[in-house]
Amino acid sequence: MLCSKSTLLVLLLAHAAAALGAPTLVSWLGRRAFLVLALVPGSAAAWALGQTAAVTSGEGPTMTLSWIPALGIDLAFRLDTLSWLMVLLVGGVGALVLVYCSAYFSPASGNLGRFAAFFVGFAGAMLGLVTSDNLVQLYVFWELTTVFSYLLIGHYTTRKSSRRAATKAILVTTAGGLVMLIGIVLIGDLSGTYSITDIVAAPPTGPVAVTAVVLLLVGAASKSALVPLHFWLPAAMAAPTPVSAYLHAAAMVKAGIYLVARLAPGYAGLEAWQLMILVLGGFSLVMGGYQALRQHDLKLLLAYGTVSQLGLLAILLGAGSRATALAGLALLGAHAMFKASLFLVVGLVDAATGTRDLRNLSAIWRRLPVTAVMAALAMASMIGLPPFAGFVAKEAALESLLHGGASPAWLDIALLVAFVAGSVLTVAYGLRLWWGAFATKATIPEIEPVRVIRPPLLLLAPAALLAVGGLAVAVLPGLGDQVLSPYANTYPAGEPGHLTLWPGLTPALVISLGMLAAGVGLFAIRDRVERWQATHQGPLDADNVYRRTLRGLDLFAADLTSLFQRGSLPFYLGIVLLMVVILPGGAMALGTSLPDRISLRGGVPQLLVGALVVVATILTVRSRRRLKAVILTGITGYGTAMLFFLYGAPDLALDQVLVETITLVVFVLVLRRLPAYFSNRPLAADRWVRLGIGIAVAVTVAGFAMVVPQARLEPPVSAALPQEAVAFGGGSNVVNVILVDVRAWDTMGEISVLVAAATGIASLTFLRSRTRDSRRPRDHVPGELPVLGLGDPDPMAPLRRPGTSSGSRSQEWLRGGRTLAPQRRSVVFEVTTRMLYHTMLVFAIWLLFSGHNAPGGGFAAGLITGLALAVRYLAGGRYELAEAAPLHPGLLLGSGLFLATGSGLIPILLGGEVLQTAIFDLTVPLIGEVHLITSTFFDIGVYLVVVGLMLDVLRSLGAEIDRQGEATGHDSDLVGPALEPAPPLRDRL
Amino acid sequence: MSRGSRRRLPWRMLVWLTLVWLMLWGRLSTGTLLAGIAIAALVTTTLPLPAVEFQGGIHPFATARLVGRFILDLVRASIQVTLLALNPSRTPSGAVIRVHLRSESDLYLTLTAELSTLVPGSLVVEANRQTGVLHLHILDVDALGGIEKVRADTLGIEARVLRALASDDELAAAGLTRSGRDERRVEQT
Repeated sequence: MLCSKSTLLVLLLAHAAAALGAPTLVSWLGRRAFLVLALVPGSAAAWALGQTAAVTSGEGPTMTLSWIPALGIDLAFRLDTLSWLMVLLVGGVGALVLVYCSAYFSPASGNLGRFAAFFVGFAGAMLGLVTSDNLVQLYVFWELTTVFSYLLIGHYTTRKSSRRAATKAILVTTAGGLVMLIGIVLIGDLSGTYSITDIVAAPPTGPVAVTAVVLLLVGAASKSALVPLHFWLPAAMAAPTPVSAYLHAAAMVKAGIYLVARLAPGYAGLEAWQLMILVLGGFSLVMGGYQALRQHDLKLLLAYGTVSQLGLLAILLGAGSRATALAGLALLGAHAMFKASLFLVVGLVDAATGTRDLRNLSAIWRRLPVTAVMAALAMASMIGLPPFAGFVAKEAALESLLHGGASPAWLDIALLVAFVAGSVLTVAYGLRLWWGAFATKATIPEIEPVRVIRPPLLLLAPAALLAVGGLAVAVLPGLGDQVLSPYANTYPAGEPGHLTLWPGLTPALVISLGMLAAGVGLFAIRDRVERWQATHQGPLDADNVYRRTLRGLDLFAADLTSLFQRGSLPFYLGIVLLMVVILPGGAMALGTSLPDRISLRGGVPQLLVGALVVVATILTVRSRRRLKAVILTGITGYGTAMLFFLYGAPDLALDQVLVETITLVVFVLVLRRLPAYFSNRPLAADRWVRLGIGIAVAVTVAGFAMVVPQARLEPPVSAALPQEAVAFGGGSNVVNVILVDVRAWDTMGEISVLVAAATGIASLTFLRSRTRDSRRPRDHVPGELPVLGLGDPDPMAPLRRPGTSSGSRSQEWLRGGRTLAPQRRSVVFEVTTRMLYHTMLVFAIWLLFSGHNAPGGGFAAGLITGLALAVRYLAGGRYELAEAAPLHPGLLLGSGLFLATGSGLIPILLGGEVLQTAIFDLTVPLIGEVHLITSTFFDIGVYLVVVGLMLDVLRSLGAEIDRQGEATGHDSDLVGPALEPAPPLRDRL
Repeated sequence: MSRGSRRRLPWRMLVWLTLVWLMLWGRLSTGTLLAGIAIAALVTTTLPLPAVEFQGGIHPFATARLVGRFILDLVRASIQVTLLALNPSRTPSGAVIRVHLRSESDLYLTLTAELSTLVPGSLVVEANRQTGVLHLHILDVDALGGIEKVRADTLGIEARVLRALASDDELAAAGLTRSGRDERRVEQT
């Protein structure tokens, strides 16, 4: 057993690895890669087949790994009969559809790698879903299938219909999924476990449990496209046909049915369950069939047919008796085969003729005879003709519903009525499908024979295999009986059912024949039916409701946004500050008292610095010039840094100074494109309001400063920190140890925010793609630095021609220096930058490595490196920046985040917890003792993220704004004088 | 500049960066030294800057003289500016003066400009590499002995910079000698 246990894990990992490797594989092998990838789901099916004997005898493999023991959430897998059947379907159909893919897509079609990755990823998620024995774990896989389905439906990203369909599918199914999650939590809380086996064995009862079950069924209905949540499925037909065949016929839509089948043994006796199954299943069965009759698009016809069949499956597996459950399991398998086969056939017809509108197809059977036969086989199974699997399943279902006994009589009768009606419709739309795709129609001109492309074998074989499979399985109904009954018999009520190929002349068979005849009759009068349907529209269209809901949500969001997000910075600041005054300030006023005695200690230095900050603040508020305001704000920041320093926090002071400096640089970069002066003063009333808010905030904050020290009851945690930092964090810089160890999770969140912010700034500034901009001088023809007409409409280019000077004055100090207009260059700046750049970098690296024990760390080091880059940009212009950092900032940001995450995971390998610090002491020859601390790598990650952020800021607010300015001629400080033909400078002086 | 010189190992920079590394750590050990060399090499090779032609070398005595004189100037000028600041009745006679430097090199121009700027009371407002001209803003010309004296002092700084760092050819091209005896004469021209 041990071997088979780990096999499942290996299979799941193989899916993940195949999904990750798929793009590479596709880039190597082209569409043939699908054949290789087919091995992965294929191996899952083969594994399940190999386990058949064990599963049948009830000894299928199980495996449990502890995941979140505190919450009772484990990674639990098991293979019982139901899972076995599902794994066979998911793996087998998955492999066949992948084979089909290798011929379906044109070799030239784009994004195949992505498609293959998502497809295999989906197969893996589905495999995990159907083998999960833990509700939370099942939910995770459930949502994974939703996400992959979204990505696959939206495969044609350039088509609006495709994107809309994908959005619709993910909205409906995740909404259902969230509802289901509530149900999962309720039921897990009630029963004290999330193990499905345990819950079904001892199902909790009571109103809360009923609510939970109803919520779970809502989730199942959304996933399995049961009316009224069915409308996403027809829309999802925008996906490529292999996706429809796999996700929307065989695999994903079965997830909801699977959940019903999982829970039915425990809950089928509940009245709420029975009612919901009847309503959801019955309506889907009839509505789906009815809608299928009026479709002209073959895929849509099949989609509505699927809705109908899913309803039938829900009824059979949810009704609660052993006999219906057995019929349901049989139909589950049969449906996956015939429906996937029919989808593949439709895709084939589509590929061969270029249309799947049955109003344009005529006499295709003559062109594609084999395909037509295969479609006929699959269709025969669908409508329940003997001797196909569909017939066996439906006979068993009818038999069991006729005998009833498991549930109240009203339910049996209602289910029987729905079943009969649905089956008649199924016959009618099944015939319509084949007729529509293949038959000769007198009124429709034939497509020219030459334009019908013969399908290659790879395209035909999977469909044929599935269609013939429906025949083969039916020949051995006894085997199916034997294999599937173990699960059906876990249902609590009813007699065990049987699967037989020929039951003899029973009432069920008579009814079946009657249904067939009625279906054929309905098909025969199809013109009249269609006309009737056209004039009798249903009053309530679920799709319409969905659209109206979304529209209402949009409008509500717009209203809410316009109420609060006015785009006025003073308004936002006012709201935020008022909240500070009202909430914490109010709490302070009501719940605390001022201290009895206030001592003014801190000495002269603090007083001086405080006075400096206060004066700078007042001047800032009063200044009319933007630049002046910015510099004065900077002074308040430097003053704060000085206070940090005075109070013995050199690390904070260092960071504060660096941040302040960078803020100044960024401000100046932005201010270049803003008017020099602030806009006119607001009205007098506004000024008073602002003054009032300011004073209120000042009083509140001063109050905090006086009240907060009294609040301490326990000895401060900082007392123990210096020792703990060395013992657990391996460093004597407490601040750094706090950042990279004690609260490493927070730091991780912060750098993620930084990455998001950097990306946000860049995408706001870059009007065009930001991957192909930053040009380096060497990208241009030597001596012909960007000149008009060379593809870069850059009117400033002539100004960058090298000057005519000679001797060592033409010395090149910076690589991009020559790209700047001579008037714009500063020799002092250039030479100093040349001399200091490397020194700054070494200093940054030192800060990075010494930061664990002394002031510094990744953040400060990143800022210094950023400043070094800023200096080079300021001295040499945007081409110099591209020279200094030819890397894309995204690469730095990404690898930084990766390194931080990776270093957080290393301790797990060593048996610790995520982000725990591991300390290695190594003795290296020549060098001596080396402390290797994992959090150093975390710090390097932080460093890279900060450098990436700085680079992004410089590139977007600096270089890109330069470029835009040059392109539009808005560069205020250059355009005026520099565009004139400048006389030689020597003459002017 | 040929391709060969571009690829040459920037050993001066390497030594300097290693020295910086050692000073930052504040201790000399084999490990620190090796790490310093490695990091210096890493930084200069992965993030290269254009090689700079530097023909001169460091002349210790002249360098000492440059530094000593600079400190002296610094102290003297600090006192002067302090006195000026504490004496509100006095109106400083500010001026912007132009100094035409003698050397051809950006490096010496930059060093001269920076040393002038570091001394309180004088500030380089523009440096023109094409013509080798510095524009200095002087807080109080009279306190420094008049425009010509300031100009001569600035040229003196340049001369000391050149003697400290420049090669013989560069010195000669600027009309200076290594000994410095001709300084007074040159300044007066």
